Amino acid sequence: MVPIRPEVLKGHLDALLLAALEDEPRHGYAVIEALRTGSGGTLDLPTGTVYPALHRLQSAGLISSEWHTVGGRRRRAYQLTASGRAALAQHRDVWDRFSAAVTALLARPAPG
Amino acid sequence: MDGWGDPRIDAYLAEVAGHLSGPRRRRERILDELRDGLHEAAAGFPGERAVDAAIAEFGPPRRVAEAFAGELAIAYGRRTLTGLLVTGPLIGALWLLALRLPPWRTGLVVLLVALPVLPLVAVAVVVAVRAVATTGSLMRWLPETGPRQALLATAVVAALAVVADAVLIARYAGRGSALTALAVTVSAARLLAGLAVLHRLATWPSRLEK
Repeated sequence: MVPIRPEVLKGHLDALLLAALEDEPRHGYAVIEALRTGSGGTLDLPTGTVYPALHRLQSAGLISSEWHTVGGRRRRAYQLTASGRAALAQHRDVWDRFSAAVTALLARPAPG
Repeated sequence: MDGWGDPRIDAYLAEVAGHLSGPRRRRERILDELRDGLHEAAAGFPGERAVDAAIAEFGPPRRVAEAFAGELAIAYGRRTLTGLLVTGPLIGALWLLALRLPPWRTGLVVLLVALPVLPLVAVAVVVAVRAVATTGSLMRWLPETGPRQALLATAVVAALAVVADAVLIARYAGRGSALTALAVTVSAARLLAGLAVLHRLATWPSRLEK
């Protein structure tokens, strides 16, 4: 199977990260794991993609973060802000229409 | 095993740190976050090779560091621009006091004759506010400023501050009251700080996307 490159996700990465934080706060590596397991292993995003994107979402005010100490290490946990929840709802709406349109256009013609 | 205290993780992070440039606190936070992530990743692999597997998953140190170059450049730009935006009005107020120009009683023409740098200051303020706003929470509504544009805006504002200070110093050094001497000294300090910023930007080590 052809691997999915991170560039393909451009434009959808923000939505995926927001969705990964929807149910509970997560630290950066837990977000990577959530995307990996949630996609059945299809989306295995590199650290260099996920951490800077989380920091950018925080600058935009869509997520916030808190530092804790866990097992002697400093850990940064991210959570959605109210604006982040609203942005996620918008992303979902756009995705529903976009994916329906692309699915219709890329649909294989019925045999016969 | 999560690789706690493993020298391979320390060595890896030291190599990443060597390729990071930007505000120190920001770099330390990135390294803390990577350290936590590496330990978490190592805990997910079995046996002795867990740490090596985690390090391999994170990728070459230089490439990991490069991924943070943009946000570090933006952090440097925002910090510098915020500093200039905060100190600018104080220095301006000092000059108005020194030259006895209460703005509420002085006409614009008189102000411009005494402080011909005011238009430069106005441009600098607009550029700085725009760059700070569009790298922060306003990026949701306005076109986002990227790392290279943020550093360019920082260079423009620092250069305008240097020119404004140089003009004021050339015009008023050795003249007037003790307060004028103080204003000249403070402007000289900012001029040096502005030159330091320009030097830092001219020798900025990482390549950046737009």
